[in-house]
Amino acid sequence: MQYKNNPLSPHLQIYKWQISSLLSIAHRIVGVINITAITIICIWSLFLLLGTESYQTINYFLNTFFGKFITVSLCWTFSFHILNELRHLVWDLGYGFDLKVSKITGVLALIGSFVLTILFYLIGKNIF
Amino acid sequence: MHISTKKWLFTKISSLILLPFMIWFIPSFVSIYDKDYSEVVLFFTEQPSKILFSIFIIIAFFFSSLTISEIFEDYIHSEKIKNVANKSLNIFAIIIPLITIIGIFNLSI
Repeated sequence: MQYKNNPLSPHLQIYKWQISSLLSIAHRIVGVINITAITIICIWSLFLLLGTESYQTINYFLNTFFGKFITVSLCWTFSFHILNELRHLVWDLGYGFDLKVSKITGVLALIGSFVLTILFYLIGKNIF
Repeated sequence: MHISTKKWLFTKISSLILLPFMIWFIPSFVSIYDKDYSEVVLFFTEQPSKILFSIFIIIAFFFSSLTISEIFEDYIHSEKIKNVANKSLNIFAIIIPLITIIGIFNLSI
């Protein structure tokens, strides 16, 4: 199979900003952020092998405001990816292609991601 | 089956499997990230979190290698650079979960 003459995708600045393009671009960026976060979490788990004392610095950082901010941000990136991925899976089944429906599901995925972030954080903190 | 169809199917199946693992992992991570050493170790050593986390990272890295290679396909023009990028991505997607799983299976309080 010849891939050599495949055209490249248009670069980001060529798109007119609208909900569908915004979510499509955000989905890719957030996906890369998520796998970077999972890689860091894997490294974090490996640091546990070094023992209690080596873990103190990481523990101190995670308990700062910045550490908590990163955790809440990750709740959002994962929430957004889950909801937008569900949207993609529904499209793959052949539903939701209508322009109006697509815009509505896009807005719902975006708003829902913030609601899901709060839910994940509260469930994680055993507040429910 | 065409290779691109196969790749698309693997992407969709892995994303579907990944969803419940993500829903499990995020609140779990929130519950342990600021805890002390022994509680975090307990999370990674006790069942079912140990096995769920292991499966989660295997699927996550498998899914990400498929989807990031799509980004390479869209934006990298040179075939040579694209091949190197894809190979590096695949090696990364095998090495990181493998080392992590070996690490957490050797972890004890």
